[in-house]
Amino acid sequence: MSNLNESDIQSFIDAVSSFFFQVTQEKVGIRAAYLVEGGIPATTFDLTSYITLSGAFTGRVYFSAPRVMVAHLLLTMQEPDRGDERLLDAVGEIANTISGNARKHFGETMQISVPVTQATEHDWLNSVVSPRSYVILVKWKQYRASVVVDIQHTD
Amino acid sequence: MDTTSKQSVFSRYRKIIFAVILFMVADSVVIGINFYNTYKADESAVSINLSGRQRMLSQRMTKVLLLTQRSLEANDEAGVVRNLEELDLTVRLFDTTLKGFREGDTVTGGDGNPTFLVQVDTDESRQIVKDAYAIWTPYLELLRPLLGNNRNFSPHALEAAVGYAQANNLKVLKLMNDLTTDLEVVANRRASTLRIVLVIGIVVAFVNFSYTVVISIRDLMAGDRKLSEARQETREILSTVHEGLFLLNKSKKLGTQFSESLPILLLRDIEPGMDFMPILEEMVSKDMYESAVDYIELLLGERVKESLVTSLNPLIDVPVSMIDKFGNTQNRFLSFFFNRVVVDGTVSHVLVTVQDTTEKVLLAQQVEEAKNKAKVEVEALLRLASSDFGSLRQFIDNTGQSLSQINEKLSQSSESSRDRLHTLNYIMRLVHGIKGEAAVLGIDAIEGYSHACEQEMIGMRENCSQDGLSGEQVLRIAVLLEGFYERYSTLANIVSRLGEALGTSAPNVPDEVRARHTGQAHPFVTHITNLAQRIASDHGKKVEVSCEVEKLFSLPQRIVQELQSVSIQLVRNALSHGIETPDERISRKKPATGALCLWCKYLGNGQYDFTVRDDGRGILPERLRAHLVKSGRLSMTEASAMSDEEIARLIFQPGVSSAAAADRDAGHGIGLDAVMEKVKGINGHMQVRSRPDTFTEFHIQFSTTG
Repeated sequence: MSNLNESDIQSFIDAVSSFFFQVTQEKVGIRAAYLVEGGIPATTFDLTSYITLSGAFTGRVYFSAPRVMVAHLLLTMQEPDRGDERLLDAVGEIANTISGNARKHFGETMQISVPVTQATEHDWLNSVVSPRSYVILVKWKQYRASVVVDIQHTD
Repeated sequence: MDTTSKQSVFSRYRKIIFAVILFMVADSVVIGINFYNTYKADESAVSINLSGRQRMLSQRMTKVLLLTQRSLEANDEAGVVRNLEELDLTVRLFDTTLKGFREGDTVTGGDGNPTFLVQVDTDESRQIVKDAYAIWTPYLELLRPLLGNNRNFSPHALEAAVGYAQANNLKVLKLMNDLTTDLEVVANRRASTLRIVLVIGIVVAFVNFSYTVVISIRDLMAGDRKLSEARQETREILSTVHEGLFLLNKSKKLGTQFSESLPILLLRDIEPGMDFMPILEEMVSKDMYESAVDYIELLLGERVKESLVTSLNPLIDVPVSMIDKFGNTQNRFLSFFFNRVVVDGTVSHVLVTVQDTTEKVLLAQQVEEAKNKAKVEVEALLRLASSDFGSLRQFIDNTGQSLSQINEKLSQSSESSRDRLHTLNYIMRLVHGIKGEAAVLGIDAIEGYSHACEQEMIGMRENCSQDGLSGEQVLRIAVLLEGFYERYSTLANIVSRLGEALGTSAPNVPDEVRARHTGQAHPFVTHITNLAQRIASDHGKKVEVSCEVEKLFSLPQRIVQELQSVSIQLVRNALSHGIETPDERISRKKPATGALCLWCKYLGNGQYDFTVRDDGRGILPERLRAHLVKSGRLSMTEASAMSDEEIARLIFQPGVSSAAAADRDAGHGIGLDAVMEKVKGINGHMQVRSRPDTFTEFHIQFSTTG
């Protein structure tokens, strides 16, 4: 993990923050930020979405949130369907917003995949991300979610 | 207004000025001609009036002569006298008036008052007057015996005069008629001239007015067009330019025009006339803001040359923190360039150019990163070349452990502002420790990076709001940690790889064991001595280091490591603001070279005393008290109420320093806080003894028995 500055990382957080602000008029705050290093794991929640970037930077950006948080989000959006599919769609939408912001931040030359969503087991992220990936724990209402930035600069 | 601008104004309004001058000249000429003609008309009126009177007088003379003759025949003496009086008056009037026509003279006017009668000036009139004189001269001679109320005239004289009058009356009448007619012709001619002049004057004035209006409208339209073009160009410039451009007046308010990029760069709505300083204050740190205030004041003043102060601009590549419309914090680097706008020799405004230099700064940082990486590798190689492998490996172990501790602390999220501040202080202590150890080993890349991180975190601590650190600041610390790991892993990799390569020739024998066997000084003693000499040299000081710490190395490794770390900090402090410069020491009657002593004594019963002593200026409670008040940590009343001992004890608080100024080695208020933590970590306690201008001693007492 190298050559990412906080403005790059902040662009992903801003995307999440903008999504929540537009949908719920409530801000998302950064609760903690650390590295996947020295045995400190990336926090995985029930539902995870991610996008894959290639170009000047290569890697993935993950958004992982607990089921209850996403359900609450749908409730706030007055979405009657809060089934598993819809919950995954919602985290996918957040990944989509991250993708849009990433395109804006890094420029059009960056190739960004469509969002992938999946229900995740505890520690799943830890098994897939590179050492020294950034983990940013964000907070919405009483819930925590994680944005994991696992991107390397392409030499 | 200077000569050039005067010329410019004249050139711009030349046609209008010319038209106005022409108008004034034409008007003056017309008015002059009018005045002259009016004057002449007055003269003509008098002449016509008096020539008319001459007609009447010629008839009256004849009539009075006949009445006189009749009164004489009727023996009407009173009638004779009355008629002679009238004749006398009539003749005098006729004669003087005729003379006036011929030569120009003051005569009795129609109203009985004297008036000037001008000489006739046409050939016809002159001939008429001449003819009139030809008749009048003998006529006057015949009348003369009857004048002056001369009652004794002879009837013969009267008869002669009556006869002449009857013979010439009609001729005189005709001549006076002709004179009147000729004078009227002249007067009419003048009136015609006057009318023509008036018509010409009006035509000229109208043409001139039309010309002036056309020129003025054309110039105004041309001016408007130029102004419109200039405005359009200004608008295009201001809407196209990527920099934020605006003018700042002497009240530090924004002007009415600014580039469209400005609100985008500053992430806020901008209105003309806004106060600039509060906008700046929101974006930059307190220190930066205060420097900027001073700098802008300097520029708005007249005293200092702009070229002399340009290099003092503190707002170049300055990190700014702004909130966007979504409430997100945006961190960028901006540069503010200031140029005086001088009008008529005085500074009227300051032109401010704002540039987003984020990409440039980040690129420079990346280049610096690459350089540092190379530097770390080279330093590691040099360290290996100096066979200081054990110390290096120890440094790598300790640093790895410290970085893990930092990361672990960062991962333990907390909402409490107090906890977040505590986390920051904790991280700063660990970074300070890494910095100290890197300094001892001379690994400048790590020491420099630690110092940069420490500086940034000091800024965070000083400027953090009541809510403690923001989420963005926490993220920033994580990014700083990544930078640490980058350098650390480079160093660790190279040490590991070269260690493996040199494995056979560099047996894994601890440096201190090797030192004991070879009789060399313990590597720690060498390192601490080198560190002390380096800091002394950096500060222009001289120091002699003596170490009696052999007992230290027989202690458990954990204690040794902690005390080594403590020593590094205390030595840095002693050299930075304990020991004085040679000049200062000599002035205080001390040896030019300062003395720094470290010793470790066994006190019995498993108790040890580890001491660091310097013979510098000591802890100065008054300076510390003033510093605490200035930094806002204590009020004046609180500071005055505390004893010197209580004040001195505060040096162990985070953020408190007794140094007059901060530098790479000390003065940030982190060191003694970290020292205290380490002493607590080995269940020790610390005592400080000091005497102003004499010495400072830090005694750390601890037990190895538990």
